[in-house]
Amino acid sequence: MNQIPHKRGAAGFWMDWAAVIALAAAVMVFALLRGGTFLSPANAVNILRSMSITTIFAIGATITMAPDGFDMSACTLATVSSFLFASLFLWFGLPLWVSVVLTVVLTMGLYLLAMFLILVCRVPDMLATCAMMFVYQGLGLWWTGGGAVSAGMPTPWGAAPARSGWTEGALAIGSAPWCILIMLACTGFAFVFLRYTRHGRCLYAMGSNHTAAAYSGIPVKRYRFLAGMLTAAMIAVGAIVVCSRNSAAQISGCDSYLMPSLAAVFVGRSVGGAEKPNALGTLAGAALVAVLENGLTQMGVVYYVLPAVKGGVLALALVAAYGPRRRKAYIMP
Amino acid sequence: MDTITLEAKDICVDFPGVKALAHVDFQLLSGEIHALVGANGAGKSTLMKVLAGANPGYRGDIRLDGEAVELRSPGTAKRLGIQIVYQEVDQALAPALSAAENMLLDELGKPGRLWVDWRALYRQAEQLKCQLRMDFDVRMPVSRLTLAQKQMVLIARALHSRCRILLLDEPTAPLSTVETETLFALCRDLVKERRISIVFISHRLPEVLGLCDRYTVLLGGKLAASGPITPQTTAGELVAHMLGGEMETARSRLSGAPGGELLSVHGLSSRDGSLRDISLTVRHGEIIGLAGLVGAGKSELCKALFGILPRASGEILLDGRPVNPRCPADGAALGMGLVPEERRKEGLFPGESVSFHLGIASLKQWSRLSFLSSRRLEQNARTQIERLEIKTPSTRQRMELLSGGNQQKAVVGKWLAAGCRLYLLDEPTKGVDVGAKAEMLRLMTQLAQAGCGVLYASADPSELLQVTDRIYVLYGGSIAAELVTARTSEEEITYYAVGGKAPFLPPEQRERGTQS
Repeated sequence: MNQIPHKRGAAGFWMDWAAVIALAAAVMVFALLRGGTFLSPANAVNILRSMSITTIFAIGATITMAPDGFDMSACTLATVSSFLFASLFLWFGLPLWVSVVLTVVLTMGLYLLAMFLILVCRVPDMLATCAMMFVYQGLGLWWTGGGAVSAGMPTPWGAAPARSGWTEGALAIGSAPWCILIMLACTGFAFVFLRYTRHGRCLYAMGSNHTAAAYSGIPVKRYRFLAGMLTAAMIAVGAIVVCSRNSAAQISGCDSYLMPSLAAVFVGRSVGGAEKPNALGTLAGAALVAVLENGLTQMGVVYYVLPAVKGGVLALALVAAYGPRRRKAYIMP
Repeated sequence: MDTITLEAKDICVDFPGVKALAHVDFQLLSGEIHALVGANGAGKSTLMKVLAGANPGYRGDIRLDGEAVELRSPGTAKRLGIQIVYQEVDQALAPALSAAENMLLDELGKPGRLWVDWRALYRQAEQLKCQLRMDFDVRMPVSRLTLAQKQMVLIARALHSRCRILLLDEPTAPLSTVETETLFALCRDLVKERRISIVFISHRLPEVLGLCDRYTVLLGGKLAASGPITPQTTAGELVAHMLGGEMETARSRLSGAPGGELLSVHGLSSRDGSLRDISLTVRHGEIIGLAGLVGAGKSELCKALFGILPRASGEILLDGRPVNPRCPADGAALGMGLVPEERRKEGLFPGESVSFHLGIASLKQWSRLSFLSSRRLEQNARTQIERLEIKTPSTRQRMELLSGGNQQKAVVGKWLAAGCRLYLLDEPTKGVDVGAKAEMLRLMTQLAQAGCGVLYASADPSELLQVTDRIYVLYGGSIAAELVTARTSEEEITYYAVGGKAPFLPPEQRERGTQS
């Protein structure tokens, strides 16, 4: 009686590991074509550094998507968080750790608006966060007085900023060992949380069948709220890393990470046959995006064509992960 | 009459890990109603899907009017005149479109049409409506129709596309007696007037015997028996084929002395008006039946007690303490366990494992400092699998691959693991085979003997009579009668369930009453 839970053929294996296979294939192709330049330790660090931010945002999205939630506003909110972080640190001269903690707390506070729409007003996630995206955009620019926040600039009320420049500690967050460690810490946290705790299991139960989860006595609203708050924390962390890397909080500085991070979650969904958003899959998805970007640049693909090539390979990985399923769709158990 | 319309030979279907159909032969004569019966998991639905082209991976020969056909897609089957109405009618309907549009949906999707001719559409829909003797507005959106009406819409759609073979997958499961009769009259008409052949799946054998001309019985994916239904054919005969000789009937419950009051409800009304002034009591160790037609408020009552349906007024006492469940989490925390009527929609996590299901309602028990112990979860799963005799290859099997009866046992099992004091079972035997049904009834008896209270809602009075102590009959959202099981009958329950007002008199007394 103790057979393997569900046997799947070669196609099943291909489906389950599509993202990882694509990643390995991409690494091999680039290694063959570029040799040492691509395979050097320095370049490995390069790739890890460039994927760190996408991964942090993607981990945030993973936690929201586990209970079948969705967040369109994540990276717009991240831009606001980066404004907050930069202004707390530069304008008000707060110590680094206070700025970090306050940024996380304030981001969670801002996220309450989205949670209010979703949980109290019962607006579907997609629509609520779509609306919130614009609200966040406006709030952020209102806070900075319509501009970016960078070192040496005066505050909107005309006073001189408390700090004239970034400290070494603040700049370290976004540079090589630290941003990678932060990424790994976020991934590790989400992995353990979603997979090994009872809360993670409740979130997955909601993602599988919301009604059944509620009828099993799971406080679904409380858990959706928890997922939202954790996502907000990830957004804040990602924003701080972006801010530190650019040594400024730029207008729409984080907005462009939304699609790559969502792509990472979708690519990673099927990794290992999980069939649900999961931390390791997301990490693999983000790595795929970063390796493609890095390798293609080295291959001399011009930067403005890059998105097309990157998108094409992503689409292939998604086809491999989702395509074979369609043939089974008629068979309802 | 006796020409063979459809002949399927040596049909095999493999699902991952299970052989769903093994070398099944099936013959359908023209102009007959053919019953396909079997326990859950016997392969009825799988065979239907093969015939409807929804299971392209089958092996075997299918002949239509003697010509070999390959039913590899639903489109092919439809072109050949084979139409299916699935049990889950909602999956085939577009809820926001009107009934008329849904009836003619196949036509709306045809290529080469740009404009919708609304007048023609409604005219055709009206014609279909008259033919099927439906009595509702075809311009009404489908989302506002009842289940029976939705079925009619689907049958109308099948007729419109000139179907010759109509497959009905458990059409009567959600219907009331009156609705069932209407459906049967329609089936007889279709066969007589249009020479359509109908394949009919049902768990209710009396229906099958009353309606069908021939039967095919499946057992464990194999052909068990097939033959004509004559007046001599009995339900017992079919049941024997279905179970392959291993029949086990639920024994009548030994009525032990019930304990103190567990649940008492006074004047409960729901905010949406579906329940009015409900008062009832359940004592420890008692099985209380909730009888009534579909829509009488049985599900609503279970949901109101569990905290799902908002209450407008009324008082709930649990072990003497007033409680106020406002959401299902409250209900569960109070020690209630709801087994919802619509298993697929409200009870299952299809892609998750058996052990996931069995542990989901009691995760606190299986975790320490929020961290789950997979060892204890597995342990729990094995205990419940053994206790409920769930048939699964392993604790990690995906739930969607189990049969209906085993899925239902897993839904009940999660509450057993949580150790509830009051079980709210809403049609727990719906879509469950005879064997699993008997086990379910036996389980209720065990729960009652262990001192739990059981509230058992069912539209089938004969099942209620087998295990309950008392029965509340609901009619139109209020309690029409409270009956003691030992002193009542199926007729009395049905009498109150269909709205009988005067005190019920058994037939012999009734005659005396009219004479004097």
